[in-house]
Amino acid sequence: MAYSDKVVDHFNNPRNMGSFKKDDADVGTGMVGAPECGDVMKLQIKVQNDTIVDAKFKTFGCGSAIASSSLATEWLKGKTIEEAQKIKNTDIVQELNLPPVKIHCSVLAEDAIKAALADYQKKAETQPADTK
Amino acid sequence: MANDQSSTHPVPRRQLQMARSMCWHCQSEVTGEYFCERCVKVQPVSKETDYFTCLGFPRRLMLDPKTLEAKFYELSRTFHPDFYQTKSAAEQTISLSNAAVLNTAYRTLRDPIQRAEYLLGLETGSVKDIRTSPPADLFEEILELQDTLEEYRASDHDADEGRRLRDTLKTEQQTLERRKEEMESQLRKLFVAWDKLQDAGEATSPARAERDRILKQMRDLLSHRTYINNIVNDLAVTIA
Repeated sequence: MAYSDKVVDHFNNPRNMGSFKKDDADVGTGMVGAPECGDVMKLQIKVQNDTIVDAKFKTFGCGSAIASSSLATEWLKGKTIEEAQKIKNTDIVQELNLPPVKIHCSVLAEDAIKAALADYQKKAETQPADTK
Repeated sequence: MANDQSSTHPVPRRQLQMARSMCWHCQSEVTGEYFCERCVKVQPVSKETDYFTCLGFPRRLMLDPKTLEAKFYELSRTFHPDFYQTKSAAEQTISLSNAAVLNTAYRTLRDPIQRAEYLLGLETGSVKDIRTSPPADLFEEILELQDTLEEYRASDHDADEGRRLRDTLKTEQQTLERRKEEMESQLRKLFVAWDKLQDAGEATSPARAERDRILKQMRDLLSHRTYINNIVNDLAVTIA
């Protein structure tokens, strides 16, 4: 099975690899794993005034998992929380041209986005935001 | 999409039995395992037959490898294409596809971990039905290790820095391997508990609760083990 050019590109030049301090109030962290294949994905967002100003990821897994999370961080930047909620795994599948056996990688990325958003929102609720 | 739904929908048990219990050749009732007793034609393994049934074992997790192997060889001979060369095309097709199912069944059940994964699938409908809480600490650990692995890959392996990283990774590898072994011994305990519960065959509500507890714990341990197994393999390949 061959990877699509876009997957190879994201794999060779991953965008936004790295991490933020996960205890910072403006950071939301999503940590998810796929027990079927053992892939692990960490996706983080930095939020200001309800808008995602930056996103980073770290992924331990196959090329498609890395590409999916790399793409996800690109898409997240500049989006509002509400817009980010709407990102679907099928969008990732389409953009990266993932074959059926790799669809779970895109599901993992969607789960990671959801988890990061939920984490941020939980933080925002417990401590009144807008320190900036 | 609607078609997909209906094809994956489980066929009612009774209907299934009936479909399987009629000989494709002489339409008489098949009481034997794989052959019609009346016309002695080989019968296809039903697609819905699980691997345990296929090999003639109950749904137990502590299967004796020798017994399993013996049964597999016995059935392999039964369906071996060589014995069907003079038979009809229909019989040749059936024996061949039976042999294929049998191979998959044996390959799945032979490995205790795969056997447990498979049983979980059977018992819970879909493995995904039991959601496990993500082991966040383990994930952090794995991702940190990944960083160290990257650093090591980029380093000069003969320089001090490379050697230091290699030692760190080696230690991590040993720790993780010990943890994997621990998990496997915990799994074995659950396997025994499962078999005991099945042998008792009680339908009381404590028995059902116990059943669910065992399945859930097994699911958790198997997932954790997969994560650890992956990173251990990665470590082994990189610092070999």
